[in-house]
Amino acid sequence: MSAASDQQVVAWAKQGHEAAFRELVRRYERPIFSLLYRMVRDRALAEDLAQETFIKVLNGIKSYRPEFKFSSWIFKIANNAAIDHLRKKSLDTLSLDGSPSAETPEQMRATSLQLGGQGETPLDEVESRELGTAIEKAIARLRPEYRSCILLRHVEGYSYEEIAESLELPLGTVKTYIHRARNELRVYLEDRRE
Amino acid sequence: MNHPEMHLTNDEIELWSLGLLGAQRAFHLSDCSLCRDIADRERKVILELVQLPRFAASAGFADRVMAKVKVPTPSGDFTA
Repeated sequence: MSAASDQQVVAWAKQGHEAAFRELVRRYERPIFSLLYRMVRDRALAEDLAQETFIKVLNGIKSYRPEFKFSSWIFKIANNAAIDHLRKKSLDTLSLDGSPSAETPEQMRATSLQLGGQGETPLDEVESRELGTAIEKAIARLRPEYRSCILLRHVEGYSYEEIAESLELPLGTVKTYIHRARNELRVYLEDRRE
Repeated sequence: MNHPEMHLTNDEIELWSLGLLGAQRAFHLSDCSLCRDIADRERKVILELVQLPRFAASAGFADRVMAKVKVPTPSGDFTA
C-alpha cells in the first residue's frame, strides 16, 4: 500500500479498509505535526490539534473531493486549526502589566501576570531544544499567515499553486507572503550575526 | 523579458537558490553584483529552511487517532 497514490489510498479508505486510514495517518503524521508545532510552539497543543485534524479528515473522508489534492485538503484543515487557536489565544492574552482598569502601582502589581515561578518541565526542555535555534526563533516572529506559507513552501516543498489551493489564498498573495517572510527572516538572522 | 541584462525577479532568485534557474538567466549573476548579493543572502535563508527537520508526535499517535475514527463497514477488496 505504501507505493499507492494518495488518491488510491483515499479510495480504499472510502471503501472501509482500516489499513488505508492508518496509511494516511502514517504518511501525514510528521508533516502535519511539524507544521502545527512550528505554528503554536507547544508540543502538547500541537499534538491535540494534529489529532483533531486527522479525526476531522478521516471521519469526513467521504466528503473529500478527488479533484483536489489530498495533501491540500489536510493541510488546509490543519492550518485552519492553528490559525483559529492563535486568534483565540490573542483575544485571551493578559497584559503583563496588569489589568487595564488598575489605577495605582499596587493595583497593577496585584493584577499583573506572574511568570517564571514554575520551573522548567522536561517538555519545556524538549521544546527549547527543538525550537531554540536562530532560524526557529525567526520563524516564530513571523505573522501566522506568513509562517504557514513559508513552512509549506520550504519545509514541505509545495508549489505556490498548491499552497494557494491549500490555504485558499490568491496566488499573488502567497507569493507576496513568502517573499516578505524570507525578507523578515533574513533581516532577523543577519541582525543576530552582527 | 528574459534579456540577460535584466535584473533577476524574486521568483528567479528563488529558482537560482534551489538550483533550478536556467543557465542563460543565471549567467546574469556573474555580471551583476547587486543581484549576486541579493541572491547570496536569499540562498542562505532558503538553505536554512529546507534543512529544518520534521518532528514526530509522541508514540502511539496513530492509535489515539484511530480510536476516534469511525471506519465504515468494508465494501469490496482493495480496488479503487
